[in-house]
Amino acid sequence: MDTPAIRVEGFTKRYGKRVAADGLSLTVQAGEIYGLVGADGAGKSSLMKAVAGVLAFDAGTVEVFGTRVDSERSAEQVKRRIGFLPQGLGLNLYPDLSIEENVDFFGRLRGVPAAELLERKRQLLEMTRLDSFRARPMRQLSGGMKQKLGLVCTLIHEPDLVILDEPTTGVDPVSRRDFWAILGKLLEEKGVTALVSTAYLDEADRFHRVSLFHEGKVMGEGTPAELVATVPGTLALFRAEPQAEALPRLKAAFPQTEAMGAWLRVFAEGLDAPRAREAVDKALAGIPPTDWFAREPELEDVFVAMLRQRGAKLESAFPADSRVPAASTDLAIEARGLTRLFGDFRAADAVSFSVPQGEIFGLLGANGAGKTTVIKMLTGILKPSSGEGRVAGADMRSAGLAIKERIGYMSQAFSLYHDLSVIENIRLYAGIYGLDGRQAQRRSDWVIGMAGLAGFENDAAGRLPMGLRQRLALGCALVHEPRVLFLDEPTSGVDPIGRRMFWDILFHLSRREGVAILVTTHYMSEAEHCDHLALMYAGRVVADASPEAMKAEVSAESGQLLELRVDRPVPAQAALRAAGFASATLHGRAVHLLSRDAAGDLARLPGKLAEAGITVQSATLRPLSMEDVFVQRITALEAADRKAS
Amino acid sequence: MKLQRIIALAWKEWREIVRDRLFFSLAFIVPTMLMLLFGFGLTLDVENLPFAVVDHDRSAASRDYTYRFISSRYFDFKGQASDERQLDTLLADNRIRLALVIPPRFGERLARGEAAPVQVLIDGTFPMRAQTTQGYVAAINSAVSLDNMARALSAGRGVPLVEAQARVQPVKLEVRYLYNQSVKSIWSLAPKLIMLIMMLSPPFLTALGVVREKESGSIFNIYSSTVSPGEFLIGKLAPYVAISFTNGLILWALAVGLYGTPFKGDPAFFALALLLYVVCTTGLGLVISMLVQTQVAAMIVASIVSIIPAVLYSGMLLPLSSLAPGASAIAHALPPMYFTNIVVGSFLKGVGWQALWADMLVLAAYATCLFGLGYLLFSKRPAS
Repeated sequence: MDTPAIRVEGFTKRYGKRVAADGLSLTVQAGEIYGLVGADGAGKSSLMKAVAGVLAFDAGTVEVFGTRVDSERSAEQVKRRIGFLPQGLGLNLYPDLSIEENVDFFGRLRGVPAAELLERKRQLLEMTRLDSFRARPMRQLSGGMKQKLGLVCTLIHEPDLVILDEPTTGVDPVSRRDFWAILGKLLEEKGVTALVSTAYLDEADRFHRVSLFHEGKVMGEGTPAELVATVPGTLALFRAEPQAEALPRLKAAFPQTEAMGAWLRVFAEGLDAPRAREAVDKALAGIPPTDWFAREPELEDVFVAMLRQRGAKLESAFPADSRVPAASTDLAIEARGLTRLFGDFRAADAVSFSVPQGEIFGLLGANGAGKTTVIKMLTGILKPSSGEGRVAGADMRSAGLAIKERIGYMSQAFSLYHDLSVIENIRLYAGIYGLDGRQAQRRSDWVIGMAGLAGFENDAAGRLPMGLRQRLALGCALVHEPRVLFLDEPTSGVDPIGRRMFWDILFHLSRREGVAILVTTHYMSEAEHCDHLALMYAGRVVADASPEAMKAEVSAESGQLLELRVDRPVPAQAALRAAGFASATLHGRAVHLLSRDAAGDLARLPGKLAEAGITVQSATLRPLSMEDVFVQRITALEAADRKAS
Repeated sequence: MKLQRIIALAWKEWREIVRDRLFFSLAFIVPTMLMLLFGFGLTLDVENLPFAVVDHDRSAASRDYTYRFISSRYFDFKGQASDERQLDTLLADNRIRLALVIPPRFGERLARGEAAPVQVLIDGTFPMRAQTTQGYVAAINSAVSLDNMARALSAGRGVPLVEAQARVQPVKLEVRYLYNQSVKSIWSLAPKLIMLIMMLSPPFLTALGVVREKESGSIFNIYSSTVSPGEFLIGKLAPYVAISFTNGLILWALAVGLYGTPFKGDPAFFALALLLYVVCTTGLGLVISMLVQTQVAAMIVASIVSIIPAVLYSGMLLPLSSLAPGASAIAHALPPMYFTNIVVGSFLKGVGWQALWADMLVLAAYATCLFGLGYLLFSKRPAS
């Protein structure tokens, strides 16, 4: 076997007392797309910087193309062969320089001869469809364009190894898919090895092999399929009414139980499909499950199971309270033709939707689609140009302070004071909302219990792990017992356990306390937790339905999702596109496509690809994800816009 | 060293400075603005002091005495006051800085050859101005006294007035101010402002320029490439040195053209000294940028490290010889003092290499040390 592209053994990195990476080991073979998957602070960035030779570390060995990277001098020897894209969308680019100037700078910095630079620049900009924007300053680019420019600048000196640190974070699903397609093609053509990190577990199937990172340790390494196989079990999806009663019964038997809108999602570890059904029936004790689906678990289920095996706790100690589930179906939030103009720009264009009390409502859309503008108008921060927003029955334009006290708001940045302790943060918010001493004490206890913060009361908020910090921020937004809760991208950067606990709390709030929750997110897998979704595009609401309804609609229009595992994915994708499947996309060693005649295509396609010399290892039907729905919808709208203009 | 990479770095930096509004104004507008603000605002001359008089005597002698003050260019007569109470309000409202109270029988006492007291009230809120004022008053008063004595002598002994004047003041001072004949403070200030502004602006620009890359993460483009630390530092800093040097020349032009300061020295020598000084202060910015991680921290450190030495330990406001021994040692350890010697020497004294070679040597040593330190502190593989 050839020298591996990267060999890491016992890699340890500390920042002061904090251990960022604790004895990590992995090997990346030449030509692989290798993924590092994990939440913020899991140690991905430290490892990638060390491999790129731009970070000194404390212990272990790092070898790149057989050269040990252990000093500034030895690191210099391999830098010629490496391209490194640091974390942060477009942050390593120069905002005042144009696309072309950025590329030229990177090329000259890397000593690319002028003639070659010209040719490579042309080729790469054409491939990323940036060539018509050459003169545009980088600061005026959209997220997706910045990301592609970053990739071009990283590849301009034709490195043998590219290291891309979270290239897809903060980019909408359409641009993300586009990015993976371009990356896959480029790497295949140039024979480049890639080390790529992501915080999205559902992107793991884009890689040949992955390492799962958690708190500075590798939880598992292998192909996505191998990893899923390490924790056998069945994923069951079904309904059971009343849901609020079914959920605690299931949780007692299956720790990995989640409510997804009207659905329940249970991972039955170690059980095959029939035995999983038996066990669920037994746990439900009389409530009959309906609409039963059983399938292979997803990587996230497996990851959570691995963490649980290592002692992670999933259940939050929710204090039992005597409140009866709210039966009210009053409208909590109502947007009627909300419009907001900034100059000529319509940030929100006649946005209408309604959220009844006790519902979790998701607002989806790419950056700049108008989600934040809508939230700002509904919370009374921004005045609408026309239309009205009603929250808890009052018009937000004229609502006084009293109504604002019935609203809770948690921003993306977790508006906490990092130097104050947990209890001081809670008391501060209690004070802001005018709670008296006894109320403040009662609510502090409630927040501590709800968020699982017992034992952390006197720790500075800034030093808490992300998951706890997020739940503290949620607690602070809830300290005055609001009836309506607004959450603006609340789960960025949190690990899967933390995300699950967070959604568990939201579910409890909506079902047992009747709180109406409006949430924006760009994690498409999370959108499935919502009862109802509105999809925004260019300031307008373009779809407004439950997640299942949205999926059913896309299925009816465009077909079902097929997954073909093949030996040569890139030519397979090309062959499928030539055969009329425009939706064919690369996912690691597999190709996904939408088919109107699923049964027929499953039978026909392996033979068809064999004609092109491609072996199909397996062909299966897959459930549509929310991301598929989003991408289908938005690409159709973008195509319509292009036609119109 | 590859020239192509250095040029690529410098060219990129130049375009960023020119296109970024904050950097553009810091680089091209702020230095000139500071020169104008300080030059017009910071005048140390004590002239045209507003004053009032309470004359209880109302004799020819008291009017004559008052007139001596009215006719001086250092005083600006605001009128007679009726009594001392009125003086209090005038002084309190800052309408006058000085008041004379001439008692009754002032002229009568003088005529009899007795001593006559005159009360002088001076606003002491600014000690330096108050002392200067007192000096002016004492000088006018003694001139009046000598005149009176001469007149009495001339009348009593029957000698001619000129002879009597020579007798009462046998030694007469003939003062000539060198290098700044009319003792205009702007002549001394304008060259020192070049020192001050060239101590403030380059460290700010440089520190912000480097730390900005650390903050955004674009520094990783440098770390992860094959650029050597030397190439990076030269390419990155060359535009800042060039811009600051140009600014220094503009300030020189303002000092000569706008403030009328004479430039008596060798322009080539001065240009070389300016370049050396600018390299020095740019190096200071480089060292700051290596030690801090954020632009806010860079600004705070740069302002402390540059303003205090430039204002207090440079000889700008106070002559160095009047500093306490400890302060004087600090002054000798910092570069502004040496460049102050060079600007004062070049502008007002017209001296060059011969007198100032030692100062040039110290600045060169400084520049070498600062860049050496910056080079050592720069790591392409840092620990965090």
